[in-house]
Amino acid sequence: MTQSVIVTLLVLTVIKAVPIIYAALGGVISERSGVINIGLEGMMVAGAFSSVVISFYLSPALGTTVGPLVGLLVGVAIGALIGWILGIAATKFKVDQIVAGIGINLICTGGAAYGLVLVFNQPGASSQVPALGGPNLPLFDLHAGAVALLAVAFVCALGLSWLIYKTPWGLRVQACGENPHAVKSAGLDPLKARLLAVTISGALAGLGGAFLSIGELNIYSDGMTAGRGFIALAAVIFGRWTPWGATGAAIFFGFFEALQYVLQGHVAWLPADAMQALPYVAALVALAGITGRVRAPAADGVPF
Amino acid sequence: MRGIRKAYPGVVAVNGVDLDLYPGEIHALVGENGAGKSTLSNIAFGEVKADAGTVKASGSVGLVHQHFELVGRLRVWQNIVLGREPRKGLRIDEAAARKMVTDLAAKNGLEIDPDAFVEDLPIGVQQRVELLRELEREPTVLLLDEPTAALAPAEIDAFFATITALAKRGTAIMIVTHKLQEVIAYSHKISVMRHGELVAKLDTYSTSVDDIARAMVGGELPPVAEREPTTLAPCLTIDDVTAGTGGSRADGVTLEVQSGEIVGIAGVEGNGQTALADAIAKMIDYEGVIGLDSKPAIVPQDRHREALVMTWSIVDNAVLGRQHDPGIQKGLLLDGARARRDAEAIKERFDVRAANLDVAVKTLSGGNQQKIVVGRALIDDPKFVLAYNPTRGIDVGAAALVQSRLMQARNAGAAILLISFELDEILTLADRILVMYRGKVVGNFSRAQVDRAAIGRLMAGSAA
Amino acid sequence: MKPALRILSGPAGTLLLVVVMMSVVMIVAGSTPWAGFGALFGGALGGPHELAETLAQTTALLFPALGICLAFRAGLFNIGAEGQLLLGGLAAGALGANFTGPGWLAVPMILAAGIVGGGLWGALAGWMKSRFNANEIISTLMLNYVAISIANYLVAGPLKSPLATGAETAPLPASSWLPTLIPDTRLTIALLIAVGIAALLQFVFARTVFGYELRALGEAPEAARRNHVDINRLTWMAMGLSGAIAGLGGAAIVAGELHRFNTQLSPGYGFTAIAVALVGDLHPLWICLAAFGFGILEAGGLAMQASAGVPKDAIHLIEGIIILVLAAKRFVSTRVEVPAV
Repeated sequence: MTQSVIVTLLVLTVIKAVPIIYAALGGVISERSGVINIGLEGMMVAGAFSSVVISFYLSPALGTTVGPLVGLLVGVAIGALIGWILGIAATKFKVDQIVAGIGINLICTGGAAYGLVLVFNQPGASSQVPALGGPNLPLFDLHAGAVALLAVAFVCALGLSWLIYKTPWGLRVQACGENPHAVKSAGLDPLKARLLAVTISGALAGLGGAFLSIGELNIYSDGMTAGRGFIALAAVIFGRWTPWGATGAAIFFGFFEALQYVLQGHVAWLPADAMQALPYVAALVALAGITGRVRAPAADGVPF
Repeated sequence: MRGIRKAYPGVVAVNGVDLDLYPGEIHALVGENGAGKSTLSNIAFGEVKADAGTVKASGSVGLVHQHFELVGRLRVWQNIVLGREPRKGLRIDEAAARKMVTDLAAKNGLEIDPDAFVEDLPIGVQQRVELLRELEREPTVLLLDEPTAALAPAEIDAFFATITALAKRGTAIMIVTHKLQEVIAYSHKISVMRHGELVAKLDTYSTSVDDIARAMVGGELPPVAEREPTTLAPCLTIDDVTAGTGGSRADGVTLEVQSGEIVGIAGVEGNGQTALADAIAKMIDYEGVIGLDSKPAIVPQDRHREALVMTWSIVDNAVLGRQHDPGIQKGLLLDGARARRDAEAIKERFDVRAANLDVAVKTLSGGNQQKIVVGRALIDDPKFVLAYNPTRGIDVGAAALVQSRLMQARNAGAAILLISFELDEILTLADRILVMYRGKVVGNFSRAQVDRAAIGRLMAGSAA
Repeated sequence: MKPALRILSGPAGTLLLVVVMMSVVMIVAGSTPWAGFGALFGGALGGPHELAETLAQTTALLFPALGICLAFRAGLFNIGAEGQLLLGGLAAGALGANFTGPGWLAVPMILAAGIVGGGLWGALAGWMKSRFNANEIISTLMLNYVAISIANYLVAGPLKSPLATGAETAPLPASSWLPTLIPDTRLTIALLIAVGIAALLQFVFARTVFGYELRALGEAPEAARRNHVDINRLTWMAMGLSGAIAGLGGAAIVAGELHRFNTQLSPGYGFTAIAVALVGDLHPLWICLAAFGFGILEAGGLAMQASAGVPKDAIHLIEGIIILVLAAKRFVSTRVEVPAV
């Protein structure tokens, strides 16, 4: 392979990894606090869709730079709201977290499909909207706004790592995920910590979704998240429930997604459909290889 | 505490209890399983709210739980300062936290490594961490729930030295326990609970173990079935078996159990008994040879997780573990009528108190649940029975019945391996007594040779 | 469980919730609940053709829902019914188009192909779980996407029909079509097969050793492990059977309705079926009723959109809310060995 192809592959790997990184970081903080978040996919959809809708409505008034920016913020906020809903279901109502996550996914994907009809009067995809702007950066072939989100992903990994391992609240979260009784005995409220953690996870996943819709592209379409929220769950396990581990795993899976684009046209014998399946197969193989060697937080998924 | 009352669905746990704790005093709260002691101490601590009555304390109250509330994957210092972390701006000041912990340990005469991960520590040291965590808050009242249940005799001495020093410094201490020897040795006052009520208040100096036991039970203890002569024959041989990993593995265990005898393994929890039991039950891999002709009947140590499906009825649970037996499995089908007959038989013979056979077993008391488990294990007249803590956490009446049935099985020719953390149970039932320490069998006594003190020393790792 | 939630997650409460949410959607669309529900029920139950369509939708949902029920009762979250259904349909379509045996054997063989296709796909996830302890939620979801890729590839390439321009398999000869219950409709004997499977499943749960062990695995995995239940074998068998039933559903759609396979086979039946299974409280006979209810929604939804202008896309949103509310019921016991999610 030529040098430029390798560079393209590396850059594309990171770009494709970004949404998975965000969702996986969300998965890490949620599960570390003891809440299994199957709803990451839905939260990504919520972020992707709402940011497009807000950009659509507000850009005429606020301009094409500010509009998408507000859209981005709203995408994060909506993601956080969905996360909060899961958190309430898990902590106040003590529901089965897995079933609740499945429900949340359906609510978000169904809600977005419904929303498309309500807002854009057409099913399937939205119209094009102003996206995150800025000059088109040559190396990444993306607008500066999107590249900024790329950098922010790594800042988030750093921040989350610091939060979990160095701060009092982070220590509380770690304890909640292992033994919430210990947190209660210490006079603290494990449910509040869990609620905040899941809300943050929703915000992060929403941000990842917004990157897909108004960062990389300028549109929302049904199914655009393509299971990244679930691949992120595999990344959380593969990364041993640590922020940097999950980031690394996300980049690993992003590689396989990037491979599709780079190999197209170069490798004739591998059908396009096979390459499209690569990231999912990679997740399967990673899952098979790693589980048994890793330990989930002990109270993960157990209502307190 | 005045007029404390607490009821749960179906049972009044605490019924009008008055209790006073004074600084400098070690107060023992005793009673059999189900008497309400743990509930009362949880109310005193504030974890549980009483339905009626008042709790007043002149300062804060600390509680060291029976099942430690520690986070195994975190370090000692993290567990101790959780919730009260010293800060440096937004982050935790780790150096200050470590210093807090070492200072606190020194002040109480305890040794601890602040950086160790709690899950790597032996149970006695873990308890130290739990204790320090409560002491960090400088409580005026300290409650301890079954604090010595998992400690070796030497650790128990060290523990009580710490507690006595703490009392001398002015803390009021209450120990919930069923270990009457320790109560006599270390406490000042004793309160006895039975069926949720406070039935006796005693001065330690003027009472004895027997007096306390009688007050606990309200009369004489129900008798266990008589031991009868039997003919012995080989049944189970265990030859140089090593199983499990880490500090609680079984290491080169050799023993045999014959038909018609009960072999008891005494020992403190965590010395390889679980690994040995799991190896016999074929739940884990092992090296060495376990020779057994027939299918072992197992009474596991954790009935909720290992023996019963809590949401199922007595009928359904009656065939758990036996679903492939001829007579129960007919082709692809499960013989429901047979399951019901077996459940009826168990209910009869083991005096299971339940409205009917179709109630979910989770609605039954611990004693009744355990009777079902033991009844099921014995129903097919097994040649070999492994009973692991068969009377743990159940009331005295149920315990006596279970022990009687085990004795009767032995009399009828079954080989029984009894593993128990209660030395008294072993001494009541066993024909031969082995002691396990750090995975090895370190003592072998016949019933005639029993020397309680020697057994205690072996359990602690000293020479007999 | 909080009292309000207890009421809501019961059958009456769920029904009430659906009615309220649908009414809101109808009002938002500028219609009225009166007109909306009129169109919905008219479209679903108005006449024999409408009823046939509703029952056809019921059948399409019932198969995967029963498969999901089996898996969930064993404590296995099979979220991959969609992929299992798809591959079952693919196998059925491929076999059907190339079948050269005697005529009377065609239908059974096609259905068998569906069972095998879906069954293998489910067993794959089951094997990954028992051999590697790979979390089945993630693996079945990933396998859904892989199934789509496999179907896309085969149907656009090797299995492409020489007759059609689009990506689909060759049409099935009329002799291998499933007989219809009401002529000229999409309602076939597949409905009877599905209901028969529901009855069989209930029998298996209640009266067989396999069903006994499966329920033990779902409700008390550690107790099951220690009481002579072969967890590994049961895991891949349960997942395999679960996939097989879903795959049979795919085959029924191919042989009964479409008479060929294409990738648009399922508008998300495998996911709606999760809601159906939960509303049916994981009980095969109630699931039949729940499937009928959802069949009304699916069939009537198109009419509701056409004549009252209420978008049917809201139905998935409503299904999601139902699942969220039903999460309050603990269907599957929290595994003692926490699955590495």
